[in-house]
Amino acid sequence: MRLPVAVKVGVFALVVMGTYTYYANSIPQIQSKPPAELSLEGGNVTTAQLVKAGEEIFKTKGTCEICHRIGQKGTRAPDLAGVGARAGKTKPGMSAKQYIIESLLQPGAYIVEGYPNIMPQVDKPPIALNRSEVWALAAFLESLGGNVDVTLDDIPKTAGAAAAGGAPAEIKIPGDPKAGEVVFSTKAGCIACHKAGKIGASPVGPDLSQIAKIQTPDYIMKKILDPAGAGTVAGFPKGVMPPMFGQTLTAKEYMDLVAFLLTLK
Amino acid sequence: MVALLTLFSALPALAQEAAKEPAYRAFPLIGSRLAVWAVAQLHLNFAAFILGVPIFAVIIEIIGWRTGDAQYDWLSHELVKLTFAAFSTTALLGALLLFLFVGYYPKFWTYMTSIFFPTYGIYAGLFFAETFTVYIWYYGWDWLSGPRKWIHVSLGVLSNLFGTAILLVANSWVTFMISPAGIDDSGALKGSVWAAINNFTWMPINIHRLIANIVFGGTIAAAYAAFRFLGAKTDEERARYDWMGYIGNFVALSAFIVLPFAGYYLGREIYAFNQTMGITMMGGFMSWLWIIQAILIGVLFMGSNYYLWLGMERIPGSERYRRYVPMLIGILAFGFMVWATPRSMVITLDEARAMGGTHHPLLGFLGVMSAKNTAVNMMILTTFLSFVLYRRANRVSTKSWAGTGMAIQWAALGLAAVIVIFFGVYGYFVESLIRIGFSVYQVLAVLGAIFVVMAIDIPMFKGARSTGAIRWGTIAPRSQYVLILLAVTFTWLMGLMGFARSGIRQHWHVYGVMRDNSVDAVTPAIGYASNMITVVTIAFFALVLFIFWLGGLGEKGKAEAHGHAAAPVIAGGSGSHK
Repeated sequence: MRLPVAVKVGVFALVVMGTYTYYANSIPQIQSKPPAELSLEGGNVTTAQLVKAGEEIFKTKGTCEICHRIGQKGTRAPDLAGVGARAGKTKPGMSAKQYIIESLLQPGAYIVEGYPNIMPQVDKPPIALNRSEVWALAAFLESLGGNVDVTLDDIPKTAGAAAAGGAPAEIKIPGDPKAGEVVFSTKAGCIACHKAGKIGASPVGPDLSQIAKIQTPDYIMKKILDPAGAGTVAGFPKGVMPPMFGQTLTAKEYMDLVAFLLTLK
Repeated sequence: MVALLTLFSALPALAQEAAKEPAYRAFPLIGSRLAVWAVAQLHLNFAAFILGVPIFAVIIEIIGWRTGDAQYDWLSHELVKLTFAAFSTTALLGALLLFLFVGYYPKFWTYMTSIFFPTYGIYAGLFFAETFTVYIWYYGWDWLSGPRKWIHVSLGVLSNLFGTAILLVANSWVTFMISPAGIDDSGALKGSVWAAINNFTWMPINIHRLIANIVFGGTIAAAYAAFRFLGAKTDEERARYDWMGYIGNFVALSAFIVLPFAGYYLGREIYAFNQTMGITMMGGFMSWLWIIQAILIGVLFMGSNYYLWLGMERIPGSERYRRYVPMLIGILAFGFMVWATPRSMVITLDEARAMGGTHHPLLGFLGVMSAKNTAVNMMILTTFLSFVLYRRANRVSTKSWAGTGMAIQWAALGLAAVIVIFFGVYGYFVESLIRIGFSVYQVLAVLGAIFVVMAIDIPMFKGARSTGAIRWGTIAPRSQYVLILLAVTFTWLMGLMGFARSGIRQHWHVYGVMRDNSVDAVTPAIGYASNMITVVTIAFFALVLFIFWLGGLGEKGKAEAHGHAAAPVIAGGSGSHK
């Protein structure tokens, strides 16, 4: 039987595409995952924990390994083995931690001979490390042959600030998230209609488990005070959310509740 | 009517509600990312086709107009007919893509609008102008013939200008997402929108896409001709579509040989914009993607050359050039292997230990830019040589200076090869900044050789003695499968490059400015991407077949009524179509 041309051509095209697809699936599969945010401010952290967190940032969010190696000379960037020991001797009058922090935040200030001025500022997008992460990374680099003495206060308060435009919305709410969780579950009674991570399960209102990821702080604050004015999420009945939280919650309870909701990412 | 009125009266309220909606919504079943991915890739495929084909269709029409050869006019009309049928599908997919952005990525779209709103009106105006011009161009083929042909040709040129302008506007949106410019730290536009349009990657992508569209259009037109050739019932039909396939492949090949240069320009600008992005693209999680790209481009080079060699078999007198084919295969195969050799890639510790380092001790030297630039330039020279041999296959120069001319031609090709190899080797001994500059000398050497050879070839073979007419339609049927292979491979390659262009932004909608906080923020691995590319490519070809079939239905029975559409008889060929 003679096959129609369309069938022959179709089978041929499928075989060609199938070959490419098979090959692409048979080689190493590497995803690029969005980096997680690390916050150490206000918490107790040991030096070992700090260094370990810094090493993780070095390998992931910091993307340092693209150019730097430890124990191997790179073509684009210097070998970082022993950087903690030699950093204090590189620039006169500058301690190891000062030099390392400067190298991270102003990499063009001092260029190691033989290497191009290509390193990006780690606290600016797209790397956009926050202040805690710069601290941890500096501690890890100090640990490579040196003593870890860097503190959070050594990191400029402005570090990571410029990342706000690109990073998830970061806003300091003067509230206590833990107390806000209690308000969510008890006095405000949000739990009756909303799920928030591990607590709550009712499908009456939208799931708030990732509300801080998909909504701005401004929207969340408005929605609590004026539910109807802020609009109803598609697929949910209008006018169900009570409009009296502005009267029933104290200012502190309100701020605690907002602070709790902003932890839901 | 009542339902429509109710719907329209509700729209403002719906719009207000929409403004308060979340940053993302989930597309049913497959998710928002896959929905946008599929529609965007399909839209780009169709858009590339309808923008690329008219560029060479109008050139072919001009050739037919100036030479008075009706075959070219027929071919040009045939090509415009193909694009015309695909026009509405492109617009439909574009509208669907817009709805997906507005509905499923509302905050992203609001942000893009805050930057690019002034361009929306320009885009809509250009789209209207192009549609209007193409309609008159297509439907006015008979009406604007004879002494009014110049008006018709001008309409073709005008539609191309509008089409290219549309491309430039749309590219400004896409490239801003990769390399944003003209904005402050908060992402707001600082001054004129021009600064956002004229970002680092805008012009390189304009050039790259313009050339790639021509290649794509050529391969699809050639595949269409191949399909018709394989199903042809008569020798005349076979000859006609053999010729059309040859022209399509010629167009694709001519544009294809300059595409790698445009690619390098784009790569350089990505590095200039952001070193981290450039390094992530070439040496990070995407490193394996370039190996697949190298294989696909290798297939395109080998396929194009193989088609030319098969084509020579239908040319009397070509026997004298067949001895060169093994040498050409050797250079192409070696160049292919060098180009596909990886250098910086993500490997496991065990793999690194087994290899004795992060790079292979011997082959690692072939994975660097010096070797790859040399390989691709040699492949381009080889492909050009194949074309030159094909071009003169049935002709013998009668000029008294033919011997000298040929010697100069060989010397030019040889000198170019020496320059390319010299700078390739020398590149290992200098710093990277100097090495990058060497690629310019290599490119200039190749382009210079092409120019010199053609400048001699054209007068040398003017009025040449023929060793026999080209036997159009007698080419081996497997050659038509090569044309289909080229079309499928290039379409798949477009999908892969689309993934690369989008994937280098990683977890950013707009790189470094607007972060992707959706559930799809993970950039998938190459296997997942290739599955998606294949599914969309199959959908594209299915749609193309359907549209061509529909277009064919409309034309059935009409051909005889139109002078332009009366298909020329070129069986046996006149030898004029070189």
